[in-house]
Amino acid sequence: MDKDKITNETPKKQVIETEVPMGTVHSAAIEPYRIRLFVEDEIVKDAEITVGVNHRGVERIMEGLPVEKANSLTEKICGICSNSHIWNSVLVAEKALGIEVPERAQYIRIIMEELERLHSHMLYLAHGNEVLGHETFSMRLFYIRETVMELLRMIGGNRVQYGVSILGGIRPRADLNQMRIQKINEGMDFVEDKISNFAERFISDPMIMSRITGVGILKKEDALRLAASGPTLRATGVSIDLRKDMMEYDPFEFDVITQDDGDVKSNLLVRVLEIPEAIKIIRQAVKNLPEGGITNRSWEMYDTPITKSYIEVPRGKLYHSYALEEGRVRHSIVRTPSIANIGAMEQACIGCHITDAQLAVVQCDPCFTCTDRAIQIIKL
Amino acid sequence: MTIVDSLIAVLAVIGTLIVAFVVSVWLPGIERKLIQARIQQRIGPPLSSPGLMAPIKFFFKEIINPNSPMPKLYNALPLIGIIITLFLLMIIMPQLYPLAAFTSVIALVGLLKIEEVLYMFMGTLSKSVLSVKMPFPDVVKGAKHPEVPRSFIEELSSMRAFRLIAFGSFPIYLAIFIPVAMAGSIFIEDIVAYQQLHGPVLFSLAGILGAVVYFFGFMILLNEYPFSILKTKADVIEGPLLEYASKYRAYVFISRGLLIFVLACIFSTLFLGIPPNILSWTILLNIVVTLAFTILMAIVSAFSPIFTFKQFYPVVAGISLLGVLGIIASFL
Amino acid sequence: MSLKSYSRARAVHVMLVYTGGCNGCDIEIVNCIFSPKYDAEQYKIFLTWNPREADVLVVTGPVTAHNEKPLKAIYEAIPEPKAVIAAGACALMGGVYKNIHGDIPSEEICGPVDQVIPVDAKVPGCAVRPEDVLAGAVAALPKLLDAE
Repeated sequence: MDKDKITNETPKKQVIETEVPMGTVHSAAIEPYRIRLFVEDEIVKDAEITVGVNHRGVERIMEGLPVEKANSLTEKICGICSNSHIWNSVLVAEKALGIEVPERAQYIRIIMEELERLHSHMLYLAHGNEVLGHETFSMRLFYIRETVMELLRMIGGNRVQYGVSILGGIRPRADLNQMRIQKINEGMDFVEDKISNFAERFISDPMIMSRITGVGILKKEDALRLAASGPTLRATGVSIDLRKDMMEYDPFEFDVITQDDGDVKSNLLVRVLEIPEAIKIIRQAVKNLPEGGITNRSWEMYDTPITKSYIEVPRGKLYHSYALEEGRVRHSIVRTPSIANIGAMEQACIGCHITDAQLAVVQCDPCFTCTDRAIQIIKL
Repeated sequence: MTIVDSLIAVLAVIGTLIVAFVVSVWLPGIERKLIQARIQQRIGPPLSSPGLMAPIKFFFKEIINPNSPMPKLYNALPLIGIIITLFLLMIIMPQLYPLAAFTSVIALVGLLKIEEVLYMFMGTLSKSVLSVKMPFPDVVKGAKHPEVPRSFIEELSSMRAFRLIAFGSFPIYLAIFIPVAMAGSIFIEDIVAYQQLHGPVLFSLAGILGAVVYFFGFMILLNEYPFSILKTKADVIEGPLLEYASKYRAYVFISRGLLIFVLACIFSTLFLGIPPNILSWTILLNIVVTLAFTILMAIVSAFSPIFTFKQFYPVVAGISLLGVLGIIASFL
Repeated sequence: MSLKSYSRARAVHVMLVYTGGCNGCDIEIVNCIFSPKYDAEQYKIFLTWNPREADVLVVTGPVTAHNEKPLKAIYEAIPEPKAVIAAGACALMGGVYKNIHGDIPSEEICGPVDQVIPVDAKVPGCAVRPEDVLAGAVAALPKLLDAE
């Protein structure tokens, strides 16, 4: 992404009335980040998001650790999409070492990933409604989300960081028996029912629709130029879903959801409509769950060059790379989807009313903890 | 008027004010527990917590100096707000009708105006730690527009308060002038007397329109969702009230409940012909109207997002148009 | 029980400051306030985003370098009496991030929280469970109630 080109496009002699900084502690953005909004008559003319507040250097800690430990450490990058991190890091290591994974383990990993997509999207919608000022919808979504959290707790043993994937398969604890499968099916019925009711109510609410239609528009060309990824890109009309290219998702039928406008409404609708697709995948996976072992323990550790892997996670495209030496991680790079979307967030803010600015940031589903591992920190 | 009469009148005024205090501390609890928590399918806080216990708690907190160029004035503003609210209540009491010039709709409008202007002062005087003063190195080498003047988020609210004064208070004023047009007098005494003769204003076409308009004006004046552009969580957090701590925050809490009660009393005086009077059983009707207003407001605010100016202007324009129609209807 | 402690127990305003953990604790705390299942308001705990209104400061995460000064500023803005709850493994002992440079002193992590501001109650867990956050808020209450 050539950042210089983007900054050069704003006129040099831009006269700006005032600057309103928000953060690092702010009610609309629960995570710490700083946004400077350049405002003229309450209309945002330019925006600057300062990240790097949460820099903790996870990759630096991972270097020199045994692969198994490094994998579980990747989970601590993000508390919302933790499973996707551990899944992708395990995938990289498996790819590098040539480990075969039992099919049952693949299916259970997919189930976890889709459950995570469900809770991440619902959290996104709840946060979006909170920023809109609609407390009731926000609480309603948290109420629906609780079912998914209980399922995750049942499978992984923890509500947030469940750590299901290990090298060569999944943890024995996370294996699914008949009772768990039944509970997953019941939970999916409940979520589907409640979410479809919510979606009808949400779309038919004139006040909400007038708030979110045409706000925070990100054009298709801008989204492609700024290398946005995931649902944010799909909301602008680009039909790209990495899940269609992943061999793990080959056995499952699902649709790629796109919307055309790139505004907050499209972004919200993409997430709302992706929830039934995720439920569809979970149902298929649970129904066709293959019998057999869940962990392949016959593998050997050897030195590998840098291996890369891209997967689709709730927020977009996630990249992990590993180079292994004597069973330890020599090199590791993680590129999370939110860092790709920061440019999109700044772009979406421009032209909004200042009350909509945080909404325009939230529409790109920011996760600044994910983002802040790899940023060069500015010396104070 | 004998001395005994005037003594009774003074006692009645004080009694009504005490009733207003007693009723108003329960209103936030009713709003939160009985309505919003029920809509949101949760248990919710105890009835006394948001309105009564929270202010008492703030009275026992350490008194700190707010970050403000004029701390004393800033801290005095909520007290001024309470005093103005009490004046508003007093000018509609029947005991004070002999002071004819003060007990007119003009005085009512003037006092309501001051109530709105207070927010502007609060906004300009508050300099909270949450925006510019946050110790964070963001204007560094390579930052965008480093030379632009920086403003606090409260200044935004101050600007919005200014706009609210300009157009946001149309509905309530239009609604107030519907009974005036029907009674043909700006004196509250005459308006009440007219309604005792001809029945309440509310039970006419103009009165119904006026009641709707009054309700929305009431919500705008209270800065409730969806009209809370002064203190939205999405950008200005609490806006002008950010720096109030300890007992001054308690005054802020009290003044809100009191304002709900007083505005509902104004409604029952102008539209039902029932002024708040402790010596009569009709004070119960005032309390019922207050409860009705609180419940309606809680329902509306639980089901609506915050409006930005894009939604605010058309809504206010539409409601004002309704108010104008009401005034026209009142002449028919 | 005097009116002072009674009123303090009946209305506790909680402010959440998040200093750079992994989001997990943060979401769980927000969950315990917004989710109707946990609903902190039934225990008289109200969420606020204004330090001047707050009584209890809930801190999550291993205070990163950029978050140290804001955290102190917000702590100082809260009027007495106040209590601080450190929630989550990172806030208690730096979590997995503390040994970022091995034996070399870390420039990026200033935590754990009790090295930056005094802590009254500690809630363990990675990530904390909503039930534990509520229990932690209750554990911090005696300090508030007995204060002058």
